[in-house]
Amino acid sequence: MKARRWLLGRFGGAIATILMVLILNFVLFRLMPGSPDRALARNPRVSAAAMEAARVRWGLDKPIFPDQLIAYVGATITGDFGYSVKYGGREVTSVIGEKIGPTLLIVGLGELIALAAGIALGAWTGWRRGRFGDRVGTLGALILYSMPYFWTGMLLITLFATTLGWLPTSGITTPGGPGGIQGAIDLLRHAALPIATIALGLIGQYAILLRSSVAEALREGYVLTARAKGLRDERILRGHILPNALLPTVTLAAINAGYVIGGALTVEIVFSWPGLGLLTQEALQSRDYPILQGVFLLLSVSVVMTNLLADLLYSRLDPRVRHGAAR
Amino acid sequence: MSGSTTVTLSTRIRKRVSGGNRIMRMLLHRWDARVAIIILSLLTLSGVAPEALVGPLQTATTATADALLPPSGTHLFGTDDLGRDLLNLTVHGARISLVVGALSAAITLVIGGGIGMIAGYRGGRVDALLMRVADTFLILPTFVLALILAPILRELIGDQTEIFGIRTTLLTIVAVIGFTSWSSTARIVRSQTLSLRERTFVERARLVGLSPMRIIARHIFPNIRTVLLANGIVVIAGSILTESTLSFIGLGDPFQPSWGTILGNAQSAAAPSLGAWWFIAAPGCAILITVVACTVIGNAIDELLDRDVRVRR
Repeated sequence: MKARRWLLGRFGGAIATILMVLILNFVLFRLMPGSPDRALARNPRVSAAAMEAARVRWGLDKPIFPDQLIAYVGATITGDFGYSVKYGGREVTSVIGEKIGPTLLIVGLGELIALAAGIALGAWTGWRRGRFGDRVGTLGALILYSMPYFWTGMLLITLFATTLGWLPTSGITTPGGPGGIQGAIDLLRHAALPIATIALGLIGQYAILLRSSVAEALREGYVLTARAKGLRDERILRGHILPNALLPTVTLAAINAGYVIGGALTVEIVFSWPGLGLLTQEALQSRDYPILQGVFLLLSVSVVMTNLLADLLYSRLDPRVRHGAAR
Repeated sequence: MSGSTTVTLSTRIRKRVSGGNRIMRMLLHRWDARVAIIILSLLTLSGVAPEALVGPLQTATTATADALLPPSGTHLFGTDDLGRDLLNLTVHGARISLVVGALSAAITLVIGGGIGMIAGYRGGRVDALLMRVADTFLILPTFVLALILAPILRELIGDQTEIFGIRTTLLTIVAVIGFTSWSSTARIVRSQTLSLRERTFVERARLVGLSPMRIIARHIFPNIRTVLLANGIVVIAGSILTESTLSFIGLGDPFQPSWGTILGNAQSAAAPSLGAWWFIAAPGCAILITVVACTVIGNAIDELLDRDVRVRR
């Protein structure tokens, strides 16, 4: 019973968050210089008929609350995010849709590599806490954590692309390059540095998180018991400490996902990687607010979903959460 | 009788307040915190008086050197694509980066501290609602929100004026960072307030008939100051990072360049693919050093507070 209420609460929370994002987006929409129709009016290619259509669509001749809000929320839920100013009035959803793939590729792979490496580094430094290796590892993690993503990317280009010439400096493929397997290799060569940049930025964060939870777990009684039983260090770390220490890392990683995505967007600018980040910068330069809002909404919804997933995963791994015993 | 109670009460509070100074003294006993404090002081110094160190800020018209010179005796950090000295730019950038970082952090602490104390002290529905909002802000990609808000705010206020010598472009960045990053501070302050609320001295103040606002100001706030300080230093680090990222994308002010603005210039001048590493190195290292120093101090205070609590128990 309690578990079911917990589950309902989580889902309700996620929906409430998304609703809040929608309202925030709506307020921004009205706040921005030139309401939707005035924004359209700035674009000389928009006809009077289209203006009139927009007026009816957003309910602009009706009061802001509740009519316009309902019109906006209704349109957004049905997948109508409005039209891009810069891309000649194309639908925001279709402009953004093309850019999701490249972003997912580098953020996803970067995240996976960072999780593996960060967990390894964090477990090692936490296990050897206070010793020389821990000091060096922790300082390294702190430095990686403090480097702006775009700076890391610029340094990697200077070193590996320009000076050493091992990898291409920017773009996603060589123009007019080969297809098939050769093309895939070409894509990976272009993706290598952006992925490395994101991974480097995240490793520090995961390592610091895991180090503190491993160090905390080391103080627990069950570790002492395991030691007393004569288990080898490796068994204690893998079988007893990590399963417990990984839990907070999972949640905190999910909470930080939004922050991570923001930083990852700048990586694309450095590498001219044609994803959501580059799109965001272009939209910013041409004041293409519908695109910006679409990106914000898309990222918000994905982050909320990530958190919901992490919560469900957490409750599977640690039943105390579901039954309200923890905290 | 009631008079003597007030006296002991206030001395006890004063004793607890002096904990802040004690933490400061203990900080100076740790070598890592000492190094970080020295570095931050030097950076602050260059932020306060950049003219004294490297002369007035060079612009495209006042720059005399050739473009993209690597570091040498005359230009220790090299020059940029307009022939400006990078040492000059980086030292002047310290002022903008630190001022914007500190102001944003101040706003973050005021919003976060205020919301946290109100939520924690009032409890109930107010608490539930405020924390719901805080959680949303904690999870959301607030950086993207800042990206949208900054230009909107700028078009609303205009960017032609200065307030206290800071251009409004930078002030919009300050406001936007403050508005988007208060949630973790609110969470921390709330949990502190929750436990303070149950303490006898707060209960006594309530019985004496002080209003909630007065209790928060006189009895809650002095006791969370140290926690707020520890959080504040970490918040400054985050604000400096966010500011540099926003400026890198092009939301900074070209007339008052911060470290992020310089890196943005380096990117549009294609410094990475020209191999002009010095254009990237100086401002980037400045950001890195500042953020690491702030984080080290913040962590040290956290550890000291932690030990404090454990000892007192």
